[in-house]
Order: sequence, then C-alpha cells, then structure tokens
Amino acid sequence: MLQLFVGQLLNGVIVGTLYGIIALGVTLTFGITGIVNFALGAFMAIGAYTSWYLTDVVGIAYPVAVPLAVLVVAVFGLLADQTLFRFTRNNLINGLIVSIGLISVIQSVLLMLWTTTPKNMHYILPGVLNLDLFIVPKMKGVVFLVLLAVILATYAALTRTWAGRAAYAFAQAPEAAKLMGVRTGFLQTGVVVYSTALAGLGGALYASLYSLEVSMGSSYILKGFEAAILAGIGTVMGSLMGGIVLGVTEAVGSIFFPQAYRDAYGLVFLVLILLFRPSGLFVRTR
Amino acid sequence: MFAAATLATCFGIAPAKAQDVVKIGEIEAQTGALNTYGWMSSQGMRMAVEEINKAGGFEVAGKKYKLQLLNPDTQGNPQQALIELKGMLEQDHAKYVFGPFLTNIYKGIEPYATGFDGKFLLIGGATAIHFDLGKAQHGYLMRSWNWDAGPSGFGSLMVANLKQRGAKKVAMLMQNDAFGHVARDIYAPLFQKEGIQFDEEWFEPGTTDFSSVLAKIAAGKPDYLFPGYSDAVLYDIVRQATEVGLTKIWLVRGSLGPGLKNKDALDEYIIYIPKYFEEAQNTEPKVKKFIADYKAFYKTDFPYDQAPLCSSSCYDHVFMLVEAMQKAGSVDDVAKVKQALMSITYKGLWETRYDETGEEVINFDVVDIKKGGNIEVSHFTPK
Amino acid sequence: MRAGLLWLPLFVVPLVLHNDVVLTILVFTFILGILAVSFNLIFGYTGQLSMFHAAAFGIAAYATHLSMAHLGVSFWVGMAIAVVVVTAISLVVGTICFRFKLKEFYFAIVTLAFSEMVRLIILNWSSFTNGSLGINLTDKPTVWLPGETIVIEGTQMWYYLSLVALVVTVFVCTRVVHSWMGRCFAAIRLNDELADTLGIDVFRYKLVSFLIGNAGAAVAGALYAFYLSYIEPDYLAVDQSLAIVAMVLLGGRDTVAGPVIGAFILTALPHVINFSAESRIFVYGLILIFTILVMPKGITGAFARRSRVL
Repeated sequence: MLQLFVGQLLNGVIVGTLYGIIALGVTLTFGITGIVNFALGAFMAIGAYTSWYLTDVVGIAYPVAVPLAVLVVAVFGLLADQTLFRFTRNNLINGLIVSIGLISVIQSVLLMLWTTTPKNMHYILPGVLNLDLFIVPKMKGVVFLVLLAVILATYAALTRTWAGRAAYAFAQAPEAAKLMGVRTGFLQTGVVVYSTALAGLGGALYASLYSLEVSMGSSYILKGFEAAILAGIGTVMGSLMGGIVLGVTEAVGSIFFPQAYRDAYGLVFLVLILLFRPSGLFVRTR
Repeated sequence: MFAAATLATCFGIAPAKAQDVVKIGEIEAQTGALNTYGWMSSQGMRMAVEEINKAGGFEVAGKKYKLQLLNPDTQGNPQQALIELKGMLEQDHAKYVFGPFLTNIYKGIEPYATGFDGKFLLIGGATAIHFDLGKAQHGYLMRSWNWDAGPSGFGSLMVANLKQRGAKKVAMLMQNDAFGHVARDIYAPLFQKEGIQFDEEWFEPGTTDFSSVLAKIAAGKPDYLFPGYSDAVLYDIVRQATEVGLTKIWLVRGSLGPGLKNKDALDEYIIYIPKYFEEAQNTEPKVKKFIADYKAFYKTDFPYDQAPLCSSSCYDHVFMLVEAMQKAGSVDDVAKVKQALMSITYKGLWETRYDETGEEVINFDVVDIKKGGNIEVSHFTPK
Repeated sequence: MRAGLLWLPLFVVPLVLHNDVVLTILVFTFILGILAVSFNLIFGYTGQLSMFHAAAFGIAAYATHLSMAHLGVSFWVGMAIAVVVVTAISLVVGTICFRFKLKEFYFAIVTLAFSEMVRLIILNWSSFTNGSLGINLTDKPTVWLPGETIVIEGTQMWYYLSLVALVVTVFVCTRVVHSWMGRCFAAIRLNDELADTLGIDVFRYKLVSFLIGNAGAAVAGALYAFYLSYIEPDYLAVDQSLAIVAMVLLGGRDTVAGPVIGAFILTALPHVINFSAESRIFVYGLILIFTILVMPKGITGAFARRSRVL
C-alpha cells in the first residue's frame, strides 16, 4: 500500500505539470489581460496534432518537431488574437464566448484534416525507469523535466526582464503602465500568443505519451482553470503548484475512491477555494 | 414566419420518384466522441450503394431499381436522430433504415419507431436492441451484430478458453457508460460460472491517463486485464498497462492496433475480432476485392483497424437486403422482406444470417498476439 | 402588448402545415425556447453567466419521472415536484455563490463545477437513475376536461402544449422584467457594486433571478423529457449549457422573447445545412464568434429600431 501511495504521489506530480502548463497559460492571459481564453485546450490540440504529423507523417525528428509545432501554434494564436480577441479586450464574457466559438472552429478543422480516428505517435522513448518505490515511464519523465524547465524559465523572464516587469505593471494598473511607456497593445498580444504557445508545447509533449483525439483539450482546459484558480490568478509558480496539487489529488484519490469520480476532485476544490479563499492558495492575501 | 417557409421548402417538396428508387436510410453518429462504429458503417454503405447502382441497379419482380442512401449525421444526439428519422420515414418514405449502433440514440428513437411498427425495418447494432427483439410491437426491429452471450456468441467461448489458460483472476477496466455497464452485466456472470474472480473499475469516457487506476489494479495482481471497448482508450490503456507490469490483455471489442504497437512489452493480447483483415486479404478473394475497391473509392489507405466493424449495418447488409427484396419479390412489402432476410444466409465478407429473434449470427476470429508479435488466429463459424 | 399578437400565427401553423418534421422541430424549439428565455432572465437581464442551467434542466427531467414512478402522481404534479426540487437545489447553489460575492467569470466556473458534480452523481447513482443507460419514459401527460381525459401524445398536441407553455413563460418573464424586481436586475447587471450602494439588496435579487430562471429550466426539462421519452445524464452536460448561451446570444439578450429565435435557428440548423458534419461544427463556432463581434445584440437587436431603456 505504501508503495502504491508513494508511487501515485509522484505520478500525480508528473501529470500535474501538464495541468500546470495550461494553468500557466490561463493565469497569464487572465491575470495580465483580463480575458479568459477557453480555447487554450484547442490550441493544445493543434500543438499535439502538428507534432504528431511532423514526427510520424513528415518524418522530422521529434526534438525538432516540438519547437516547430509550438511555432505553428503561436502563429495561430497571433491570428486569433488579431482577428478576434483584439475586439474583446476586457469584456470578460464576450471574450469567453468568442473563445468557445473558436474551439468549435478549431476542432472542426482538425476533424476535416485528420478525422476522428485516434492518432498514435510511434514511441519516442519506450521503457520505464524502475526506482524502488515507483515506476516512471521514461518519456513521462522527460516531459516532466521539459515542462518544469519552461515554467521556471517563464518565471525568470517575468521577474527579471523588463518585458516581464512591464507585464506585471500592466496587470496591476493598465492606465499607469500605458503612461509609463509600456506598449500595452503589444503586451496583450504577446501574452495571448505566449500562452497559446505554452498550450501548444503541452500538446506537443502530450502527443508522445497519449493517443490523440480532436477533443483532447477540453478536459485539460477545465483542469487548467481549476489549477489556476486553486493557486490564485497571476502567480507563475503558483500555477505549477496548483497543477501538482490537482494531479496528486486525482492520482491518490483514485486509490481510495472509484476512478469514476476522478474528475470531481478538481471541481470540489474549485468550489471550496473560491468560497473560502478566493485569492487562491499560493497568493498572499492583501 | 418566413423562416418556417424556408424550412418547408427545404424539407417538403422533393418530387417522389418512388417508382425506380429504393431509399435506404442510415442513422449513425458519424462525428462525435463515440462515432467509430457509425463511421465505418457509413463508409461501407456508401460503397455498397455505389457499387450496386453502378452495375445498373437491381431487378425485383421484373422492374429495375436503384438505391438512394440517406445518411444524416446524428452526432450522437438523440434529439437530432429523432428528427432525422422522422424525415426519413415521413418525408422520404424510406422503408429500410440501418443503425443505430449507439444505445442512447436507439433509446431516443425507439418510442417513435415503435409507432411505425410494420411500416419499416430498423436494422441496427446497438446493444439495447437485443433486449427489445421479439417484444410486442417491435417486429420492425432487427439487430445487425452478434450477441456476446448467446449460444452462437463468442463471449462464453472466450471466457471458457481463458479458464483453460489457467486464469484465476481478471480485472475489468471499463467506460462508465451504457455499453460498459451492459458488458459488465454480460461478462460478470460468465466469469463467475467459470470460477474466475472478477474485479471491476470504471472510468469516464475521455480519460487518457490511466496510470493511477492501473497501478491500483496491478497491486491486486490479476492474471488478465479486460479493458474498455474502443480504440480511442485502448491504445492508452494497453501502453500504460505494460508500464505497470500488466502484460496479459483480454478483450472483446477494439482492434489489434494497441496489441501490435506494444507487442514487445506484452505477453498476451487475446481479442475477439469479427475478421482479421490482414490475413483474410490473402485467403479470401472477396476481402481482397473489398480492400482494393475501398482504396479506389476513397483514395486513402485501408483502415484495417476499423474494418472489422463493417460486420454491422455496413457493406454486406446492403447486398443482403437487395437479395431479400428479390427473394420476396417486393421492395415495399416490409413483412415479406423481413421474412426473406431471416431465411437467407448471405456469403459476402462474412457469412451472415439472422436467428429466430432477428439477431445477426456471423463467423468471427479470435486473435492471440504473443510476445514479440507472433499472431495466432482461430476461426469460428457458429452453427 | 402589440408584440403579443406576433404569437397568434404560430397557433395556426399546425392547421396549415402538415409536415411532421417541421412541427417536431418547432416543438423542440418551443421547449428549448422556454429554457433559453428563462436563462436570459439570469444572463441577459441580471448579467450573471450561469452554467447551471443545463443542470436544472436535467434534474427536473429525472425528478419528474422519478416522482411519477415512485409516488404514482400525474405528470403535472411530477413537474411541480421537479420545480420544487430544482428551486431547493438552486437555493443552495445560489446562496453559496452569491453570499460569497463571486464575480462574473468565477460565478460561471463555480456553477459549472456544481453542474458537473450533479451530473456525475446522476451518472453514477445507477440504482436510482439507471446511470448512463438512461430511462425510457412510457408515461404521458394527461389533461382532464369535464367528461373526458385527453392524453397528450403525437406531434400536434405536443405542439400546442409546448407553445402554450412558452407563451406563459414569456408572459411571466415580461411581467417580472417590467416590475420593480426587473429594474433591480437591470441595476445589478449594469454595476452591482453601485446597485449595492443605492440600497438594492444585491444578494436577494441575484438569488431571486437565479431561482426564477432555474424554475423555468425545470419546466422545460419536464416537457422535453416526456416529449423525447428518453432521459440520460447528458441532459446536464456542459455542451447543453453552452448551447443555451449560444441560443440567447444569437437570438438577442435585450428582449424577453429574443432567445426563442436563437433556439429555433440552432434546433433547425443541423437539418437545413446538409453538408458534412465537420462543417456544421465549424458553422456553429462561427455563429458564436460572429454574433459576439458583429451582432452583440443578437438577431432581434439587429432589427430593433431603437434600443430599449432597460
């Protein structure tokens, strides 16, 4: 039992980083620009399908296909921002609904291109690492490390670079930031594009672990939001922690409760947090 | 009001060329999460209809007919399916409708369809259809797939076979949906009868990460894992199962793909397959022709993984219907055509016939993939 | 009341048009129209994006059937029980949400969470709800008139039943909107903090609009379930909530009856546009985007000459 418990604890941490990267996208967009991009799950799907296509159909090496896929998603993110989100800045509900419409558009295009038959990438790094208490599939470990690195890099970029601090400033006082010379238009677009790129990265890595279906993003966006709110909007490391908390709860919960209730944990958390500590677990309340 | 008028034009005024066209309907989910079966059915039916029409149609009682296929997409939504069926029966006056494969669609249209008993035939693969066959006012109903547990079924056979291999404990990991529960209801008693311990775990459709529940199952050390039914989840379950040390898989739905992809990690992958096309294409000329025709028709690769699903409301069934109409000497005497259908054994890709309740009986294969990829195929033809 | 006259032609339609498919589409339109109009009370008038509406719809469907099956009551009593059950649950959910002063977006997510939780409960409580297999309903609503009992079955009767129900719903909502309550709703929609300072009990009025809206959804749920004769947990799915939002946006959220147009278009659309299923999803998404960006007041708004004060 101990072995199972510890194993699932660690498994939950790994699965949680994938929630975390989406949560990061959510928290950046929402925290800095105030809009809610429900379509991040669909962008994740674009990233996943693109990396599968490049790796298995075109034949590019996976480590090259991933950045290419991220680039492709970023381009689409830019497109979406310029044609759609630009017109719904700071109108939360409108932005929400537009992004939901965008999900249908993206999913239908993916369907037209690749049909509903699930796609499976060939195994990039098969096999497992057998540490005594816990078996970790090698590829899962790699994904974990990559996502962790990206999240840390994002944190560093936001806190140490000029662009990052400008983003924080904008989040706190948009008018003041504008007066201080921050190019707010570029900033908002940049954040939207960056968060779609993050989702695309999550998708590209997801493709090496799981089979792909057009609707794959929908549970991830919900869990990404749950994790982001759990942690508190606006904190980078918090979204990672939020994702991990969610992942661990699901994994450990599955040991004791039926797997069928797995999706409920996140929901219960969500409600409890918003009611009792709405600023989130990892944000200091003023 | 102008909207209603537009609608009426779209629907109401198609000239009825009932003289030389027999309309057949297909009511399947072609898109959506659970569309696998509907997709393959749709592919096969279109080919069959094209082929028959290209050959000049068919002749019944001295008259030449062509087929017209009506196949709207239900998208897995019962409300939509109901409206579509109404259109088929009341506007297009179709007398033969194939589908649905999805239980929830069937249950949504069943009350309405029962009102048309005697005026059309509904030939679908849904599991829920099995329970309504033979009931009063359900003469219109036939089931186009074989039943796991019946005397001609493959379920009991496979469970007995598992017992012979020395299995003492089997863990089931199934979708928490309509078919998943029916599967459990069918197989739990079968396992009990053979004295094999049977554990069950459920998951939400749409899950892709099974690592935690599989670890829990593995801790119970079952002999075989009996996983969920569609390829969408099987690839993930099988891969992740091998990662936690569950290397013997036994299944009654799905395709060979997940087994082949993990062949080096698995010890055994035993699966019921309506037909193992990769072998059949070399041993059965009709299968070879079908594959070639498919590639030419759709200009894509042949979906070996999905093809076995063409055993239900798909290709053979159209030809069989035509043959039944010819034997009955009528295209719209539904009762006669049904009688004819139930008396024919059709030899196409499968050898198909219907039992006395109107449920399909077909020959099938059981495929055993051993470690490293060696494949053993056993063929069964029910009596 | 001039607008009321627009409803009259609808009563004549079944006498003129004998096309069952079109009538069926209209029946679904009316029932989903009740759903959309009641949602608009919460969303369009009070400004709260609730994702709990599909849950109210689904809970009522199950509650109506289960009370008829276990308590032996008639359809109408069953529906009344369902409304009571839904109102009670909405009271709990609404109190939790509004007492804690959850803002727009958070409110949407929390109601979504509650909705999903209820769906999971219904899905897994198989002994009571038959879980994912759903339940086929064989009972039918009956109307007692002196001398005879009429069973409501068949498209024509359902047409009139649902049309009457829709008209009543629109009437009730119009009265609410034009009342003192309605003005409070509008104030809350425009700026709830400001409304608070003006002495409006924001908590109470948000809750009231939530309750009335969900009660409307309950009525729709009972009717829909018995028309389709089949209930399943998917009644409560997120997709259903999103479809309701789409209907309201498309139809127009500034008028009480506007959402009915949205309901009509979305119900009829899959049967009019006959090309591939993927394109249909594509068009659906485009509609959502298009209405928000280009026609924020929906179709009725686009045709309205002047904007309403409320």
